[in-house]
Amino acid sequence: MADPPGLQVENGAEDSRVPRKALRRSEGELILLWTLPATAIVWVSAFFLFPGFMPPMSPTMSADQVAAFYRDPAHLPQIRYSMIVFNWFGASLIPILTLIVMQIRRMAHRTPIFSYAMLGCVAGAPTLFLVANVCWLLAAFRPERSPELTQLLNDFAWITFTILVPFLIGQSVILALAIYFDDQPRPIFNRWVAHFNLLVAASLVPAAFVGISLSGPLAWDGVLSFWLKNVAIGVWVVVMGVVLGQAVYRERAEIQRRGEELDSA
Amino acid sequence: MTDVAETNKRARFVPGQPDMWAFVLFETLVFTAYFGFYLFYRARSPELFLHSQAQLDLRVGVFNTLVLLLSSWSVARCVQSSRAGAYRAALRDVYITAACAAVFLSSKMFEWARLVRLGDGVDSNDFSTYYFFLTGIHFVHLLIGFVVLGIVVYQLRSPERRSQELVETCATYWHTVDFLWVLIFALLYVVR
Amino acid sequence: MSTVLTPPESAATPPAGPPSGRWHRRVAWHLRHNPKRELWLAWWTLVVFYNLFFPMFFVVAQVQPPPQPSWDLATQVHWFHERHLGIPIGFGIIFAIAGMTAVNNALIAYSMRRMSTSRAFGYAYLLIYSLSAIPGLLLLCIALIVGTLRPERDPKVIGWLYDFAFLSFDGTMGVFLIGSLIWMVAILIDKNRVFPKWFGYLNLCNALTEVVVAPCWIFQRGVLAWNGQIAWWLDMVVFGVYQVTFVVMLFQMIRREDFGTGPLPDLPRKNT
Repeated sequence: MADPPGLQVENGAEDSRVPRKALRRSEGELILLWTLPATAIVWVSAFFLFPGFMPPMSPTMSADQVAAFYRDPAHLPQIRYSMIVFNWFGASLIPILTLIVMQIRRMAHRTPIFSYAMLGCVAGAPTLFLVANVCWLLAAFRPERSPELTQLLNDFAWITFTILVPFLIGQSVILALAIYFDDQPRPIFNRWVAHFNLLVAASLVPAAFVGISLSGPLAWDGVLSFWLKNVAIGVWVVVMGVVLGQAVYRERAEIQRRGEELDSA
Repeated sequence: MTDVAETNKRARFVPGQPDMWAFVLFETLVFTAYFGFYLFYRARSPELFLHSQAQLDLRVGVFNTLVLLLSSWSVARCVQSSRAGAYRAALRDVYITAACAAVFLSSKMFEWARLVRLGDGVDSNDFSTYYFFLTGIHFVHLLIGFVVLGIVVYQLRSPERRSQELVETCATYWHTVDFLWVLIFALLYVVR
Repeated sequence: MSTVLTPPESAATPPAGPPSGRWHRRVAWHLRHNPKRELWLAWWTLVVFYNLFFPMFFVVAQVQPPPQPSWDLATQVHWFHERHLGIPIGFGIIFAIAGMTAVNNALIAYSMRRMSTSRAFGYAYLLIYSLSAIPGLLLLCIALIVGTLRPERDPKVIGWLYDFAFLSFDGTMGVFLIGSLIWMVAILIDKNRVFPKWFGYLNLCNALTEVVVAPCWIFQRGVLAWNGQIAWWLDMVVFGVYQVTFVVMLFQMIRREDFGTGPLPDLPRKNT
C-alpha cells in the first residue's frame, strides 16, 4: 500500500513531483461505497424473510417444536431462500470495512497499527456469520432428521449468530481509538463518531453472554442479545455508512483540488 | 576493523552465533523432558517395553547411528575447509553430509514401514508410541537440517555471501541433530 | 534514508516530562504526548488480554487443563453440568475481549514492518492469525457453550461436542505453526536487528511444539492424547515460555523504537 497523502506531511516533501505520484489511488471507491445501500436492503429483506427472526425463535422450544418449525412447509422455503441470500451477501460488508481501513491510514498516526488491527477484525464477523448461516441451512436441508440433531444445529446456529460480536466490538473500539489519536486540525472523522462507536461496542457486549440462560434478556431471543445487538449493528451500519461517505467524498475533493493546484503551478 | 576483531574474538569463544547455542540448550531441555516421560513410563511396565523393544532391529539402529556420525564428521570438515578458505572442498563436504542424511531418512522410513507391517504401529502399544514419537520428532529436526544445509550451500557458493559465522551456526545445529539421535538410539535400542 | 520526524524532544525522553504524582495523570499525559503512545497502547492491550485470557480458561470456565478423552459419556455429561455457569460466563468475557487479539497481531505485524524484510511477512502473519482465531478458539468455545445449554441433551451429542471442542483446541495448531515460522524467517533474515536471533530460534521451538501436539488426533489416552503430558502439559510450558518472552521482546522493541527505517538502536546501558 502506498503511503497516503496524510502521512506525507511528516516527510515534509515539498517536491512538486512527489505529491502527484503519492496521491492515493481512489478510483472505484465510490462504487464500493455505494454497494452499502444495496447490501443494507438485501440484508434487511432477508432478515425479515427468515421466519426465525421476527419474532426470534425461543431457546426454550423443545426438540420436537424445533423440528416442527423446520418441517413446516410454509417455513421451509422462507428459511432456505433467506439463508441462501445471506450466504451470498454475508461478506459484502467487508469492502465497506476496508474503506474504513483506508481512511484510518489517512489519519495522523505515527504507525499503521490501527489500520492493521482494523484489517485483522474485518473478516471475523462475516466468517462467524457464515458458520451460523451454514448451520441453519443444514437444519433445513433434511427436516426429517431426528429432532435432537435438528435442535443441535439450530442451537449452534443461534449461539454463533449471537456471539459473533468480538470482532464487531474490536473494530468499533479500534476505530474509536484511532479517531481519538487522530491529532490534526481537520480530523478524518469527528470526535462524536468515536463516542458513538464506543457506545455501539458497549451495546454488543451483553450478547457475548448468550450461553448463560435459555430465557431472559441474555437468551438469544432476549432484549439484550437479540434486539439490542441487532439494532446496534443496524444503526452502526447506517451511521458509519453516512460518515464514511462524507469522508470519502471530502478526500476526493481534496485530491482533485491538489491536482488542480499542481496543474496551475 | 573492530568488527573483524570482534567476530574473531567471538569465534574463539564459541563457534557460530551464540543464539544457536541457546536454541540447542532449549531443545535439549525439551528432549530431556520427553526422555524423562519415556523412562518413567518404562519403569511402570518394564516387561511390555522389553518385549516391544525386541522387535527393533539393533543392527539397523547401529547403521543409522554410524551414518549420522559420519555426517557430523563431514560437516565438521566442511567448517574447517571453509575456515581455511577451501570453499570447493567445503561444498563437497556439505553434499556428503546431505547424502548421509538422505540415507538415514530412507533407512528410517523402511524401518517404520517394517514395524507397521509387523503390527507394531504407532498406536499398538505404549513403547511403539514413544518409539514413533521420538524418532518422528527427530525426523522433523532432520528435515529442518536439510534446510540448514541448504543455507550453508547458499553461503558457500557465492563469494559475497560467505559468512563463516553462519556456516558454523548451521554446523552446530547439525551436530545437535546427531547428538539427539545418539541419545534416542541409546534409550530406545540399547537400554534393555 | 530514514524518514524520521524529529521533534525537538528525543523519542525516549520528552523535555516537558510527564507530571509526577498520581498515576492517572501520568497515564493521561502519556496518552496525549508520548510519541510512542500507539505502540504502548497496543502493548498494554496485549498484556491485559493475556491476564484475562488465562484466568478465564483455567479458573472461571475450568476447561483447562483439559479433561480426558477416555471418559465415558456419563462423566462427560457430568463435566458439562459442573460448568453450566462457568463456561458461559468465562467465555462471555473471552468473546467480549477477543477483538483485542487484532491489536496484538497488529503489533507483531508492525515489528515485521520495522524489519528490513519485505512487508509480505507482516501481512501474511496478520492474515493467518486473524483468521486462525475462528477454528482454533472461537468455534470450540461455541461448541462448549452449546454443550452446557441443555442438560437433557442426548449424551452421544454431548460427546460429539466434547470431542469437537478439545480436538479443535489442540489439533488446529497448524495455523500457529506457519505463523511462527513466518515470524522466525523474518527475524532471522532481518538486518535491522529488531529482535535478537535467539528469539527467532525460539519461534522455531514454538513451531515444533505445535507439531508435537498433532498426534492428539490419533490417541485417546496416554502422553500424546489431547490432555497428555507431552501433547498438553509440556506444550503449555513451552508455549508459556514463548508467550512471556515475546511480550518482553515487544516491550524492548518499543523502547528502542526510533521510527526510522534503519537498524534499531540498542538501549543505552545503565551505569551501575
